[in-house]
Amino acid sequence: MRIAVCLKQVPDPATVEVDPLTAALDTRRMLYIAGPADTAALELALRLAGPTGQVSALCVGPPAADAVLRMALAVGATEVRRLWVPPFLSLQAPAQTALLLAAGLQRATIPDLVLCGARSSDQGSGQAPALLAEFLDWPVVCDVTQIAMEGDRVRVQRRLDRGAREELEVRLPAVLAVEANLARLRHASLPGLMRAERASVPVSHLEDLGLEPADLAFPTASVRAVTPPRPRTRPIFTPDSTRPAHERITQIITAGVTRKSGKVLEGPPAQMADAVVEFLRERGFV
Amino acid sequence: MALLSKEASLALVQQVHRLIGMKNGVAPHDAPRPRPQRNAPRPGAERFDVIVVGAGPAGSAAALVAARAGLKVLLLERGEYPGAKNVSGAAFYGSAILHDLIPNWWEQAPVERYLTRRVLAFMTAETSVAIDFRTTRFAEPPYNGFSILRPKFDRWFADQAVAAGAFLLNAAVVDEVLWEDDQVVGVRVRRDEGDLRADVVIACDGANSFLAKNAGLQREFHAHEMSLGVKEVLALDEAIIRERFHLHDNDGLAIEYIGAITEEVSGGGFLYTNRDSLSLGVIGQISSLAEHKRRPYELLETFKRHPAVAPLVRGGRVREYSAHIIPEAGWNMLPKLYTGGMLVAGDAAALCFVAGLYLEGINYAIQSGIAAGETAVAAHQERDFSARSLARYVERLRARHVITDFANYRHAPALVNSPRLQNLYPEIIAAGAEQVFRVNGGPKRKLLPIALEALRRAQVSPVHVLQDALQAGRSFGW
Repeated sequence: MRIAVCLKQVPDPATVEVDPLTAALDTRRMLYIAGPADTAALELALRLAGPTGQVSALCVGPPAADAVLRMALAVGATEVRRLWVPPFLSLQAPAQTALLLAAGLQRATIPDLVLCGARSSDQGSGQAPALLAEFLDWPVVCDVTQIAMEGDRVRVQRRLDRGAREELEVRLPAVLAVEANLARLRHASLPGLMRAERASVPVSHLEDLGLEPADLAFPTASVRAVTPPRPRTRPIFTPDSTRPAHERITQIITAGVTRKSGKVLEGPPAQMADAVVEFLRERGFV
Repeated sequence: MALLSKEASLALVQQVHRLIGMKNGVAPHDAPRPRPQRNAPRPGAERFDVIVVGAGPAGSAAALVAARAGLKVLLLERGEYPGAKNVSGAAFYGSAILHDLIPNWWEQAPVERYLTRRVLAFMTAETSVAIDFRTTRFAEPPYNGFSILRPKFDRWFADQAVAAGAFLLNAAVVDEVLWEDDQVVGVRVRRDEGDLRADVVIACDGANSFLAKNAGLQREFHAHEMSLGVKEVLALDEAIIRERFHLHDNDGLAIEYIGAITEEVSGGGFLYTNRDSLSLGVIGQISSLAEHKRRPYELLETFKRHPAVAPLVRGGRVREYSAHIIPEAGWNMLPKLYTGGMLVAGDAAALCFVAGLYLEGINYAIQSGIAAGETAVAAHQERDFSARSLARYVERLRARHVITDFANYRHAPALVNSPRLQNLYPEIIAAGAEQVFRVNGGPKRKLLPIALEALRRAQVSPVHVLQDALQAGRSFGW
């Protein structure tokens, strides 16, 4: 079985430093890794492909993104490819990434299944997998929480809102976007790590992919200015205007904090039970 | 990343306390330890000429020297990149040494400022008396020292080793050394199929070296031989740093503090200027921290509030906070530096020079790394990796004045950590200086009576003073 995995290099959250003076991100010491959803996709691909299968990993990114692909090689990917554009093109829109990935997939042997992370840990729009499926004209399932292969079909479970799940059956080839907690990437063996360190990562540029710069001219947002985030406003307490003056003053002095008070009931059991029911009814519990 | 939260550093302190055992702050090191089991490498392990464990200054220097000689060198680093596990700000006084290895290294390396001003300050709670040394001669190549940020510097230095042909492998933790017939023949990395073979293993895995202990070259340490340093990097505008510390463009300064800043705990403080930040911290002897039940970060806060320090750090915003163990006892902590197939260098060999006037380590790390690299190269030329062949490492260290420095100053650590030198003498100096400078209508007194009165008031017997003077003379004078 042939499976392709799309990886994105994102900043390692442990290395992200916010400059305390300007609130800008300090990129100088930032390290890039594959996000948790992407590594889950890679691990699933390795499991589904089995020892005889082929797993290829693709990444759209600058030369520094080679590290992400080397990581994939180290854990057992059979083939990797980095896709990149000339510096005058700036990649902003998920559609651009998806188009490059689609072109990269179509240039090589078409895989049976494409796995992506459901969303990256930096931008996290979650659009690339769906757009990729659109460019490939394949079915797509996003937010996948379970995968089971059944011949040329795959049974998947998809996460919906409020804890609901949906079971689907998809015919291959298909694009699946998997959730981060689905699987944890295995550790690379030492020989695997050394092999990956020594490997050279092949790169495909626009011309190799049969694309023109104009193909990537999607409408994108452009950054005009970056300003530090405004400090969070703190809500100011206002007293309840229906209360008498001295109570309002007390409320202001105590900043609206009232002490929890209990009430001890006394009397015959039936009377106490009535009081409890009345208490609950007052507050709308019964 | 070399960044610890306060909680994490607290956990580190607690762990250190537990490790050393709070009983008199002394480690139960004298009990004979069972010899660790010696494993041989599994067949099929990849072979290198030299494996260097730890890509700090010592490791990168060793790898660079060995790779330049054409050996097949593997440099193993446990962090995600060299320097990732490091405590950031540092003063590096080995410019000329590195210049021999990489000519004009400062032109390409990430350095912060060249240090032209050194200050040694004696402190009491309210007073500070300082010796302020400044020379433009340290502002000329090859310079004398630089303030550096270790994550950047270590990464650059390891890249030089890689450029020379060494193979750098990050995220590789070494679990043990591997043996064949009393000869070290490789290491085991904590990964599947993690065995690696090498003719020479050079352990540069830092203070409290796991490898040196695993190979039986180093004993367990006394708590009074180790110090815990806590350090902060404070962001401050470049222009403010220049104004505040009276610096020209890229001049820098290093201040060492002795006295009350660590309260009753033995130790000291330091402050270095970086390009747009300050590195400052306190160092406390672990046994003394345990004895007085003080937390190092409390000392750091006290230090920052001191009237002589507070105006220097005003407005700085904490960018990093970290803690590190420092081997302090010098000569008395040096391990056996070699065995068949293995050499120990840098902090792993406790080559950290802490002697009041001096607070140096990176220069000795690089010196010993070079010596270890050269020894490995010579051993390969003769195809002899026995302990006898590698013993020439010690001669090389002597030729580079590493061993001799530690031997000459072997009395200094005990003196520097003595309670009188830690707190009493700074107090006497400060009180004396106050007497000299105070004008209150009383008679002007000469220096000797002032000194004698200060000593009398502090209830120090002249015998002790004489003893200390002799000790100081023996440590620093002759």
